[in-house]
Amino acid sequence: MAEEKTALRSVGRPRSVDAAQASLALLLNLVRTETATTRQELERSSELGRAVVADRLATMIELGLLKEGELGQATGGRAPRQMRFRQDAGSLLVSAIDQSSIALGIADLNGQLLVEHHEAAQLNEGPEVILDRLATIFDWLLEETEKPAPWGIGLALPGPIEKSPTEFEAVPVLQSLQSWHGFPFLERLSMRFGVPIFARSGVQTMTMGEAKAGGGRGLSDIIYVKLGRSISAGLISEGQLHRGAQGAAGMIGHSRVGDDLLEALAGADAIARDGMAAAADGRSPYLAQTLSRRGELSVVDIGHAAQLGDLFCVDLLGRCGRFVGEALAPLTNLINPALIVIGGVVAESGGDSLLAGIREAVYRQSHPMVSRDLQIMRSQMGASSGLVGAAQVVVEELFAPPMLQGWIGQGSPLRHPEFQKSLERLTETLAAKPAPQAGRVAP
Amino acid sequence: MSIAGLGPHGERAVPADQIQLTAIDTIEAQARRFTVAVVLHTTSSDWSKQELAGIAATLGLHSAALVEVVDCNFDVDQQIAALTRLAEEPVDAVISIPIGNARVAEAHRKLTQSGRKLVLLDNAPTGMLPGTDYASVVSTDNFGLGQSCAAMLSKHIPSGGAAGILGYGIDFFATHEREIAFRKWMGINRPDVTLVRERFSELDSAGTAALEMLRSTPGLAGIFAVWDVPAMKAVRALAQQGYDIPITTVDLGNEVAIEMARHGMIKGVGAQMPYDQGSAAARVTLAALLGLAVPPWVALGGREVTPFDVIEAYQVIWHQPAPRIIIESLRDMGGAQN
Repeated sequence: MAEEKTALRSVGRPRSVDAAQASLALLLNLVRTETATTRQELERSSELGRAVVADRLATMIELGLLKEGELGQATGGRAPRQMRFRQDAGSLLVSAIDQSSIALGIADLNGQLLVEHHEAAQLNEGPEVILDRLATIFDWLLEETEKPAPWGIGLALPGPIEKSPTEFEAVPVLQSLQSWHGFPFLERLSMRFGVPIFARSGVQTMTMGEAKAGGGRGLSDIIYVKLGRSISAGLISEGQLHRGAQGAAGMIGHSRVGDDLLEALAGADAIARDGMAAAADGRSPYLAQTLSRRGELSVVDIGHAAQLGDLFCVDLLGRCGRFVGEALAPLTNLINPALIVIGGVVAESGGDSLLAGIREAVYRQSHPMVSRDLQIMRSQMGASSGLVGAAQVVVEELFAPPMLQGWIGQGSPLRHPEFQKSLERLTETLAAKPAPQAGRVAP
Repeated sequence: MSIAGLGPHGERAVPADQIQLTAIDTIEAQARRFTVAVVLHTTSSDWSKQELAGIAATLGLHSAALVEVVDCNFDVDQQIAALTRLAEEPVDAVISIPIGNARVAEAHRKLTQSGRKLVLLDNAPTGMLPGTDYASVVSTDNFGLGQSCAAMLSKHIPSGGAAGILGYGIDFFATHEREIAFRKWMGINRPDVTLVRERFSELDSAGTAALEMLRSTPGLAGIFAVWDVPAMKAVRALAQQGYDIPITTVDLGNEVAIEMARHGMIKGVGAQMPYDQGSAAARVTLAALLGLAVPPWVALGGREVTPFDVIEAYQVIWHQPAPRIIIESLRDMGGAQN
């Protein structure tokens, strides 16, 4: 309807529908990013004529994408009315799935997280269980919080995610998890809510989250390191996330330290294993007590013991920190980041000893110019960074100019012709080939 | 009860009993004579009174003065005004329970920016970060409480039966977590049970909401109410209409304890330990004021209470003897212990 309307308008006289879509997309992004918000600023930034700008703004107000806001700064004469993006025109569903937990949230169209929920979950329960849990909580959150209908889903997944060859094409997911092979996880979730879905690796979304709302806010060059059972890094260079040729950038856990892989020495399981050994042979009295009381040990116990001054644990975490720092130093020399953020359960638990070990190795092995203003800090966002980053992924995808031009005339990405086609293809494919059952289904 | 839930940013819990001040910390805290204010959603509930008692006693032991207690009367604007004022007052730290979600975030953030230490109870509003915006969140394991209530109610729901959720219609983290956990437990352990829900936005409409559930689902076999006050509103409304429905809820308020002792509709409670939570919040506040590293999420497990151990549970939770009426009610029912 809107497309017809745009074509019928005489004002601005677009040479073609494509030109109209391009100018709509350009103006929407200028307003959305607050690069230009008054008519005068929009004319200047877009280099479009006054009539065209007026026409496109009217169209987007009608489509529910823009609204008129408060008065701006007067520069002689009447104060101009500012245009505002309707970030509540739709919502974004976001989730971060990790080995032992899931996080879910709802964000607005600016990627601002509005509500979040975290709970323990075991990835080895299988994709069907996780898929069902996600759908259940998303349904509940949408109903409970009365947020507008979703426009897209952003997912942070463990392991690398291949780049999608075309828009709206789901990529093979979770190559690193044998039991998930062949399971149409993204397709099923996309179908369930009738929205496009965009996935990245957990570490990449966390990096984006830290850059948007965490310690990296306002910085263009940061490294995020996730220290969990596996170890990986994300990189934002000159404001852009670096994904690599296949989308698998940042797998630093596979660096060698002597004969071992880094994550076999400094991952959460490795630290827990060393703690168990120290509890058994009496090197750590605190861990011995904890083990006898609870029958198990985790990296959280080791971190706590270090904070209480247990010398074995202080030394263990310091050594792990140095291993991680040695793997980070070459990256630091290569990239020259302003900030390195350390996250993941090991970082949350590791306390000052771990951070001191990382700093020691990075500063020792980095060029003085590179390390001069370099900050190394622990993440304050925790798993929320994955949610904020996943929302940012959807925002960047939906509002990327080529994608935006495909739907702006319709007022919503759900009416993008290519997405409609992909939904039809998915319906046919999934109907023809029922999904394999993988694990128990929780209603 | 072990801690089942994760923190506001997915953090693993540090149990509250692991937060202890050393003798040297105590001496330093006593020498510095800190001042602390507390901002609560209400000061009239049993939970609030015990929370305050735990805070006041622990601060007092460390020569820290509790100089003001603000009752926000569940009003977001009152909370914002109180925090804004406290940012200008001569207090070293504030312990606050955020009432709304995003609406009170900025006022809390500004309090921290003013140089005061901020320790939150129950939850951090979305977007607020530990370290930058607050020192720590001290919370009961609300997820675990929801699971407990589901397990206790499940015993009263026949195979293929229906259970109701009396949910809170306001964006409140703790009650959300309880409801999500209740649903999850039922989904996994009692997939045969049909769940229905009614929400109330004001306490006075909780009874009507409970009756509405029964009208829409006549065979309803049990109800989970997200905390004790609406649970008792439901009990009264249901009793007036002649219903007797098993109910589980969160918190061992006095009325709920009496109802349990009478072997009435309340069949089980997942109770918070407000005195212990208040004490933990005070220890975390003192640690933060001393410049010690504090964990972003400190959690306390709840306690399951049944009609058979309501007296002992009362003593543990409220740090005082159970009221005479509870003991006598149990004696009348033949369930009191000597």
